[in-house]
Amino acid sequence: MLALEVEGLVKTFRVKRKPEGFKASVRSLLRPEWTEKTAVAGIRLKAEAGETLAFLGPNGAGKSTTIKMLTGILHPSSGHARVLGMVPWKERAALAFRIGAVFGQKSQLWYHLPPADTFELLSRMYELGRADYLRRRDELVERFELGPYMQTPVRKLSLGERMRCEIAAAFLHRPDLLFLDEPTIGLDVIVKRRIRELIAERNREEGTTVFLTSHDPSDIEQLCRRAVVIHHGTVIFDAPVERLKREVLTCKTVRLKLRDGARLPKKLPDGVRAAEAGPSAWRLSVDTTTASIEDVLAAFVGHCAIEDMTIEDPPMEDVIRAVYEGKAEGRPAEEGTV
Amino acid sequence: MTPALAKWHKYRAVGIIAVKQQLHYRVDFIVRALFLLLILFIFIHLWRAAYASSGSETIEGFALNQIIWYLVFAEAVTMACPQLCVRIEEEVKQGEVAVRLIRPIAYNGFHYMTYLAEAGLRFIVQLAAGSAIAWAYMGPPLFGWGWAGLAALLPGAFTVAFLLNLAVALLAFCVEETRGMEFVLQKLNFTVGGMLLPLELMPDWLERVCGWLPFQAVLYFPARMGVAFDGGRLAAFLLTQWGWAAALAVLCAFIYRRGVRKLNVNGG
Repeated sequence: MLALEVEGLVKTFRVKRKPEGFKASVRSLLRPEWTEKTAVAGIRLKAEAGETLAFLGPNGAGKSTTIKMLTGILHPSSGHARVLGMVPWKERAALAFRIGAVFGQKSQLWYHLPPADTFELLSRMYELGRADYLRRRDELVERFELGPYMQTPVRKLSLGERMRCEIAAAFLHRPDLLFLDEPTIGLDVIVKRRIRELIAERNREEGTTVFLTSHDPSDIEQLCRRAVVIHHGTVIFDAPVERLKREVLTCKTVRLKLRDGARLPKKLPDGVRAAEAGPSAWRLSVDTTTASIEDVLAAFVGHCAIEDMTIEDPPMEDVIRAVYEGKAEGRPAEEGTV
Repeated sequence: MTPALAKWHKYRAVGIIAVKQQLHYRVDFIVRALFLLLILFIFIHLWRAAYASSGSETIEGFALNQIIWYLVFAEAVTMACPQLCVRIEEEVKQGEVAVRLIRPIAYNGFHYMTYLAEAGLRFIVQLAAGSAIAWAYMGPPLFGWGWAGLAALLPGAFTVAFLLNLAVALLAFCVEETRGMEFVLQKLNFTVGGMLLPLELMPDWLERVCGWLPFQAVLYFPARMGVAFDGGRLAAFLLTQWGWAAALAVLCAFIYRRGVRKLNVNGG
């Protein structure tokens, strides 16, 4: 069964042009000039119920605009979409009962009140029965380990605690489809991992379809089975995440800070390139198709005194560039079936 | 649970959480109350001077204590009204409107409930502050049924105030700035709405003009009925008030439908 089906979705905005200079500003006031900006340029996409789909792209690619159209917040300029069998912008209220959304940079929690109050409000908004709501709330509080925070004003919570509350709140009414727009933005590694685990668990246990946008390749690797990359408002890659990992996410960056006087081994392992990044600091590029990250780390730990070490995924911009350069050849949406 | 009951619980819950949130703005309450005290202090002295120079006990049928309590009621309503235009404009600019629109609740209905809840709570606080000074200078507000008249007209007053502001605020869906229009709306309320003085004290031609405008339903109706109850006029006031509310609700629904199609939700 299809959770969503999108065909030729286009969204254009009229943007006022504001030229530089005082005279130009006055002229613009009297006779404004407008340009048309295309945020989404004919996206075609299908997703099965229960899928975990990563929707990727650099800033301004059209990810958020697409989500806003699929949730019924924005009306498209042209094209069709059905989400859970409904046209989002025409049946927004009915669809709202069956979808959830978390916007990483916008809170749904009431700032001065504890999350418990927002949960109560949401239970009323989604018209949950009292017994059902209390059971569901307790279950989510337990699974998301929210007990200590439920009675703490939101303004006093850390970003990670707040985000766990946000995501738990989005699951309260058991949505069939959950849109997550940058849910891990600004979080530390441990909190990110916990949030991914919790989302994956809901997907597994309740069959919730997950539609995720993120700039963090780890979100996609660890949570999603399919990746759709968009750029300039069109789909440029649509394939299983495994393929993206195999063909694009093949590079990790290891940052090493060595103890004073320590040196890198003279011969680096195959697939590793090193560049100096400051006094006693090195930036290593590891090609994971040639060398496993575990072996590389073991080689360095055994040969030099390390003060600090971090492992990073390639930034999303590099992923997009790699897709563009043809490193990965995912099926374009127009040709593939899902 | 019947659908109607579920809807009632939904909007009631919005009102409750809005009151809870509002209770955290203690400094705002105190600042507003102090400002109200200052304004009333000045007006009490102005009106005392005006009555003294007129040499009469009443002006257009209003005694001095009625005028002062009229000001208390009108100012309490004015200062109780939340800044809806600022709120909706910020929602659009910051993209928070997205969080509102993904909920199974009417956007205008959500704001109506938060507005009523906040206005109701603030009105009680402002009335208490205003009463303190008016009572000290003018004596107790012995207006009998006037209090019932005031209470009967308050829901309609806040509803019309909400809808007037909403009609302007919703324009934020399509235009960049609504503050200018809000400023004009506010000043119309202050002048032709009867905030500073009852409409009876205005020139006849202006009083007639005001009678055709919705602004009188927000401040003049409840404050006038509070200080000088008139059972016959109460029905007319209620009818006019809710007539304007119905007309403005239709206008707001129209603006919302047009606006939401043009909405550009900012931010990621």
